[in-house]
Amino acid sequence: MSEYILDLPVSRDLARSLKLGDTVFLRGDAVITAGYPTHQRLMDCVEQDRPPPVSMDGGAFFHLGCMSREEKGALRPLYVNPTTSTRFNAFMPRIIEHFGLTFVGGKGGLDDACVAAMKKTGCVYLSILGGGAPLLTEGIEAICETGWNDLIVQFRLSRVRLDMFGPLTVAIDAHGNSVYADLSADAKARLPDIMRALARDRSIQM
Amino acid sequence: MTIGYDIIRETARTLYDQALKRIPENSKAALEKALETESSPSARTTLEFMIKSARRAEEKATYVCSDAGFPVYFVKIGTNARFEGDIKSAFVDAFDELVRTIEPPILKFVTNPLTGERSYHGKDMPHITWDFVSDDDCIDITCSPKALGSGRWAALEIFSYPKLEEIERYILDVSIRAGSQHCPPVVIGVGIGGSFDHAAKMAKLQTLRPFGTLNPEPILAAMEERLTRAVNKTGFGPMGTGGDTTALGVHIDYASGHGFTPVAVCFNCWINRRTRARINNDGEVAYLE
Repeated sequence: MSEYILDLPVSRDLARSLKLGDTVFLRGDAVITAGYPTHQRLMDCVEQDRPPPVSMDGGAFFHLGCMSREEKGALRPLYVNPTTSTRFNAFMPRIIEHFGLTFVGGKGGLDDACVAAMKKTGCVYLSILGGGAPLLTEGIEAICETGWNDLIVQFRLSRVRLDMFGPLTVAIDAHGNSVYADLSADAKARLPDIMRALARDRSIQM
Repeated sequence: MTIGYDIIRETARTLYDQALKRIPENSKAALEKALETESSPSARTTLEFMIKSARRAEEKATYVCSDAGFPVYFVKIGTNARFEGDIKSAFVDAFDELVRTIEPPILKFVTNPLTGERSYHGKDMPHITWDFVSDDDCIDITCSPKALGSGRWAALEIFSYPKLEEIERYILDVSIRAGSQHCPPVVIGVGIGGSFDHAAKMAKLQTLRPFGTLNPEPILAAMEERLTRAVNKTGFGPMGTGGDTTALGVHIDYASGHGFTPVAVCFNCWINRRTRARINNDGEVAYLE
């Protein structure tokens, strides 16, 4: 397991070189949203082959909610925090492939169909600590632009500039390996043993 | 002396504000204790990051998590408590006041389930559970904001004459289904028996029980101990990226009922948001958590 400071956007080769468990800090621009309606609109863009209001090609796209305040004509980031990525499982394979994303992220991971799309595209999933708002926010330098501003603030498609944003953990690599799939499979495989231990403990304790 | 509308509104607002900006002391202690036994280096790093995040939020008076969720209150009213004014409105108005004044502003999380519309307000907001306590002269208020991260994974199933083994298997199944997604290490609340609604309420109330308190029912105390061990053998770990610490505790309550036995399981994420205060008849407020 290694630790990296990476400048966005990263090349597909670099994305493919990252391994499960690696720690990453990011600098540069990423696109974020926490919105379900935003994903529906992104899918419309994919299906109608038209660009979203904020460019995502080849870049990083994170499931992050952000609160900002307008000051002197610019948006000042107040705080960010990840949301659960699996809520967007149905949309993500096509979004990953269409925009050729190299990084996606949030918390809780993505499903097998997404992992397959990431393998095909050369894309990595980065786990962001849920409940790390005070520390993660220190890594948000600026909000550069926002699109779909009719949506509530955390749903807008926003391009943010990161400066040492992290630590993030490589939880799905670009080769089809997922800690989420592995841990679920391990837990299910371990269940008979766990049940046997419970039965033994029950007989001792009762 | 009486407990007035203004003091209840101010206390309810303060409880919600504080619940978003700090984590209970016993939760912090449980995370520190988990660090002593966690064997995975990356899981230890995550636990340390969590503790650091909680400290930083308190220093900066900002949020540990940006998801304020929606406000949930549990109110216990002493039968000798005396009120002046509309205490139900005090909670509704407290939420309005919080939304107007809290810094930094909270995001819109109150969701209409029929339209998907998000707002700061909505039907039946805040969620309040009222209860009575005999021979007490205060009002005891617990605030536990509920968000999507861990809220989404709660489950309930109704069994007929289940053996303990069947109940314990169900608790594990629900925990494995939640897997990496409920921001572990979690507290798991379980309600066994009673009716459909009562089982769910018991499970929720058990998530509010401080870590380190012993269940007064020996059969449940033993069950809590072995289930905590069992859930931690699943290996999901802090933030679900692997490790020994998936649950900081399993807390269980039960109620007698009929031959059908509901089993409800719910989760609070590692932040375990919870604040509590008592207001006496003389208007004095004591913040307990």
